[in-house]
Amino acid sequence: MSRHFIDGNEIRITVNDKIFCDVEFFSGEKFYNLEPRRLFPVTGLSEYITFLDDKGEEQFILRKLDNMAPDQRELLLNCLEEYYRIPKITRLISRSEKHRIWLWNVETDKGEYTFEIINHIQSMKMFYDKRILIKDGNDNRYEIPNIYEMDKRSQKLILPDM
Amino acid sequence: MIPKNLLINKPASPAILEIAEKQFKNKDDVPLFAVIGDLDVDGKYGEGGVYVAKNRLVAIGKEFDGGFISLDFSSIAEIAVKRMYGNAVLKAKTVGGSSIDLMRFTFAMADVCDAVADFVTKVKEGESVESRFAAAEVTFKNLRSFCPKCGRKLPAPDADCLNCQGKKKIISTMAHYIKPYAGKLVFCVVLSIITTVAALVPPYVTSLMVDNVIPNRNKTMLIYVILFLLAVYLVQYGVGALRSYMLRVAGDGIIADLKKEIYAKAQYLPMSFYDKTSTGSVINRVNSDTTVLQQFMLRITQEAVVQFFTMIGIIVIMMSMNWKLTLLSLVPVPVVVLCSRYFGRKISPVYRRLWRRGVAISSILSDTIPGIRIVKSFSSEEKAIKKFSRQVDDWLNEDKKAAKVASTFPAVITFLITCGSVIIWFVGGNMVIDTPEKLSLGVLVSFISYTSMFYNPVNFFANLSDSYQNALASTEKVMDIINAEPERDFGKGKELERMNGKIEFRNVNFSFDRSKKVLNDVNFVIEPGDVVGIVGTTGSGKSTLINLLMRFYDDYEGEIFVDDVNIRDIDMGYYRTQIGYVQQEPMMFRDTIFNNIAYSLPGAHPEQVLNAADVANAHGFISRLPDAYDTLLGERGVGLSGGEKQRLSIARAVLKNPGVLIFDEATSAVDSETEKLIQDAIDRLIRGRTTLMIAHRLSTLRKANKIIVVDKGNIIEFGSPEELMALKGKYYKLIQIQSMSEQVAAEKAAENFE
Repeated sequence: MSRHFIDGNEIRITVNDKIFCDVEFFSGEKFYNLEPRRLFPVTGLSEYITFLDDKGEEQFILRKLDNMAPDQRELLLNCLEEYYRIPKITRLISRSEKHRIWLWNVETDKGEYTFEIINHIQSMKMFYDKRILIKDGNDNRYEIPNIYEMDKRSQKLILPDM
Repeated sequence: MIPKNLLINKPASPAILEIAEKQFKNKDDVPLFAVIGDLDVDGKYGEGGVYVAKNRLVAIGKEFDGGFISLDFSSIAEIAVKRMYGNAVLKAKTVGGSSIDLMRFTFAMADVCDAVADFVTKVKEGESVESRFAAAEVTFKNLRSFCPKCGRKLPAPDADCLNCQGKKKIISTMAHYIKPYAGKLVFCVVLSIITTVAALVPPYVTSLMVDNVIPNRNKTMLIYVILFLLAVYLVQYGVGALRSYMLRVAGDGIIADLKKEIYAKAQYLPMSFYDKTSTGSVINRVNSDTTVLQQFMLRITQEAVVQFFTMIGIIVIMMSMNWKLTLLSLVPVPVVVLCSRYFGRKISPVYRRLWRRGVAISSILSDTIPGIRIVKSFSSEEKAIKKFSRQVDDWLNEDKKAAKVASTFPAVITFLITCGSVIIWFVGGNMVIDTPEKLSLGVLVSFISYTSMFYNPVNFFANLSDSYQNALASTEKVMDIINAEPERDFGKGKELERMNGKIEFRNVNFSFDRSKKVLNDVNFVIEPGDVVGIVGTTGSGKSTLINLLMRFYDDYEGEIFVDDVNIRDIDMGYYRTQIGYVQQEPMMFRDTIFNNIAYSLPGAHPEQVLNAADVANAHGFISRLPDAYDTLLGERGVGLSGGEKQRLSIARAVLKNPGVLIFDEATSAVDSETEKLIQDAIDRLIRGRTTLMIAHRLSTLRKANKIIVVDKGNIIEFGSPEELMALKGKYYKLIQIQSMSEQVAAEKAAENFE
């Protein structure tokens, strides 16, 4: 079965209920209550967005956000941001460890929070773009957008484990 | 009013409690349970709450007018947890069509919020409040409980808190492995003391020779002294050789025990551990980390003791010779210790990173070498080499950093030690020249010898931090397995008299990862002797049902019964031996065909194995092999076709004679002719046994008297094939689609023949 790829200038979207949107093609075809999702949520944030219907069936794939009208792109980005919302860690306030269970107290863009990392080796991954993704003991995700832009102390605590 | 013993995941804040109390004033309208969330509607860390009564719920949060919203169950059309990428929302759709986000929360609360949605949905569907409340109670109970002492989450309810076990745990772990060899190690220490004393004698004899024997031209004395020296060296090296032998025996024993225990522990770790840990990482821990640990244990129990006694002995002798020079020789010691501490801090993170790079290399090896056929078939050799090279380069870069620190430090220390000796030469030389009656040349020469000997233990203790840091990194990895929570076997020792094969799933929910639910409120009963086909699209949850029944994953909600006994209450080893499991890709070991079949029944009689192979339609092809049952299979059964391996796998199940049989896509990867052979074998095997068969080809389910249709983690249809065909639901559609595709395939085949 071939996928239906589309470009950003083919559609107009209307967001309803935060993560769902209605999509109207300029050809007149309409889709209601679709859920946009990233096909590459880690490595490609603004390309290959799939649109799923309420049964989870894919209707089409948007190749890139680039050639969308700015207001449309913003709507879609907000919609995606709502779904992919994960706290961005800005500072590691404290960190303690006992028998592989690490307790991190962090400052994030969503406020201060404390979580546990069951296994450092499995739960933290650094990418070549200096981004670090972390998964806590409850499968919640966190992101450090650029480890080298954090304060020196946080870097010193985190980098040895990378 | 809010009951004091309200079922709640965590205490509510006063603000939430105040609103809840205002909402539930009436005695007839009390909440049954409540969930306190940890995010506000914008996803910021905050608080929200949902209180559930028998016919309404109240959601509390700052996003609602007045801080709350009350919804009667009758006004709710649909309620569900919407799991997103980073958090989840409890969403309700009203009868009027509007959608309301009742509460946002992290995945820590996902299970209890599911319980809220299930409660409302089922009560609305007409189930009793009491039974649904009991199901919610189970969910709350299954929440990982907290350590009363430190407040940390426990790996499982009632589990020991690793945090509160203290650092002594590491020491006691090491002591546990050293204990069996304590006698040998103590004996080695005694031998070490003898060699140490012997090593301290020659410098003393040197002073005697320089000051008395040689100046007095006493040849008789010279012969005695030389003979004495020879005897001392004989003792030193003879005892040293014995000590080395004993030490090696004890050391190898420790490492063998460690490897055995880690391997044994790894066998009982739950599947969830292997889902998250790479094979390379486990292999690395068994091979490399145990060696590092063993070396460190020996350094601590042997070298450290020897060096300590050497140091004390030298200080005593030096003090007796000249206390002023002795104090002078101690001057560099604090600098050496400070350098050591600094070095420790520098090298520790480097070693941790080095370990990670090592694991990455092992992981690539364990992926690509066994999968070399795939690599070759896609001509990916170059790609594999590049990927491996990149990882090795990463490792090399880290190793260079480690080498830089590790090489600089000993050089600095040696230089400091040399400076100490130079100072002694300078001060002692002046003393010998100015006041020979206070310090003779012989004493100075022997003092210098002792000084250089003294710095050996100092150097040893200074470098100990290096091996300590290295060992600490390895200890961490080894403890990762040793301390990991094994599969819990609450019913150890409890066996059923006979397994008849009645299977019941009751309110079973399961997720590998809290961000995605894999099974949702699964309920069904299978009677003894039933042949049940499990159908559904890929990823619908069919294999997960089997995984839970096999107890590969035990952390599900709800209950699974076999012969009306909760499977968690049955001895795990016994339970699994009662189930025959034939996988889609049968696993063969590097062993003979005979042993591969007999794997399910160790000690099986040859005729039992032959009969099992016969029932499985495998005897024919085995007997035609040159080495027949003695044919040695390569890794993963190299040398046999997929269908042949599958029939060996069925033979294994036959030999086991289980009460329940499970076939997980057993014929999906074979041609039609082989499928028929396997199907015949299966037909013979399933007679009189409860059988569960997962199959994509619905034609293989012709013997099934019941069908379970799984879709997105839900059981959407359950009944006899005839009932489901009459229902004209999903099963009916699947049959239609397959019939059509089979017809098309048959027509194409006919065309090709023509």
